[in-house]
Amino acid sequence: MNPFARRMQAADGWVWPTTLVSLVLGFMISSVWVTAQNRRERIASLDSTQRSRVSLNSIDLEEFEKLKEEVQKLREDKTKLENAVADKSSSTKILNDQLQESKNFGGLVEVEGPGVVVTLRDSSKAGPQGSMATIVDPESVIHDLDVLKVVNELNASGAEAVSVNNLRVVSTTSIRCVGPTILVDGTRISTPVVIRAIGDRETLYSGMNMPGGALAAVRGTDPAMVTVEKVDSITLPAYTGSTARKLAKTIEKKQ
Amino acid sequence: MSLMPLLAVLIGAIIAVYARVQVDPKVAPYMALACLAGLDTLLGGIRSAAEGQFKKDVFVTGFISNVLFASFLAWLGDQIYINLLFAVALVLGARIFNNLSLIRRHLLTRYQDYVARKRELAAQQTQAVSTTGTGSEVQS
Repeated sequence: MNPFARRMQAADGWVWPTTLVSLVLGFMISSVWVTAQNRRERIASLDSTQRSRVSLNSIDLEEFEKLKEEVQKLREDKTKLENAVADKSSSTKILNDQLQESKNFGGLVEVEGPGVVVTLRDSSKAGPQGSMATIVDPESVIHDLDVLKVVNELNASGAEAVSVNNLRVVSTTSIRCVGPTILVDGTRISTPVVIRAIGDRETLYSGMNMPGGALAAVRGTDPAMVTVEKVDSITLPAYTGSTARKLAKTIEKKQ
Repeated sequence: MSLMPLLAVLIGAIIAVYARVQVDPKVAPYMALACLAGLDTLLGGIRSAAEGQFKKDVFVTGFISNVLFASFLAWLGDQIYINLLFAVALVLGARIFNNLSLIRRHLLTRYQDYVARKRELAAQQTQAVSTTGTGSEVQS
């Protein structure tokens, strides 16, 4: 006879309700279990600071994406209209050429040309190992600073246009992190981070491979985290963020 | 029979694994807290069963409301920027340990009772005078 079964069974019908509830509980626990597959998504909530939970819940990414598409469409329409107006006379044509030139410089139009593609990815050594699947070695993941350094180095090597994961880098672009995710102009990106730059291929390439340069530390951790390739032609998307200015006004010089 | 809840936890877990249930990472922290609340209620139920006071309607409604309210409180805390998630986790953790210790005491007492009765029975069968201490008093 099982000594524990005696009185517990006599208390009427506790086994079935607890079994039912246990079933639900097991289901719940299992569904929030952190596994290798959902580790990346969950890691933002794993550090469990309230700040990261709140910011995670307040960003409506779908709405953001939709608006960005609309911005892109409207900017293309604007370019078409400007060209249409310019057809009328030569003076407007010159004005329009200058306008398109500065739009190109500002990153508001799609551009194409030769350049390099730098791919940064988390080290495979950062993957789940044994029971410590939730712990990530900070050395072996790509940080916002790594991306920022690469962009800076590309610009220093004479890049004419740069994009990070298909987000165009312009003069107001910010690259930073919130918790474990990298934000480019407030848009969350994930690894692998693909940085495309248009410019002189050889200069850009040697800039990326400079000893003690931007990527030296990352390569020191794991050379597989970085790949740099030269390409004949790449297309960079137009900047889709806001261009509205409230305070910076053009100074009008009196003649 | 008594081990059925334990088995059920495993079965529920396996169902969730095979159904590939994906919890939105946004609600996962609240869900995790709900699990803690569920665990507390479950242990509370087993404790009351050990005490012979188990009522299934109280238990089931308690489970549902605790789970919902724990996650609601954590969510509310995030809306008003007070970290109630930790407050709830702390209280539930304390309650879980309390329930566990009560269950352990009940099981231990029961086991000691059982050993004492067996010894008594053996003593009677050998027709010896049963004067040894039975030790069957409840030890709090």
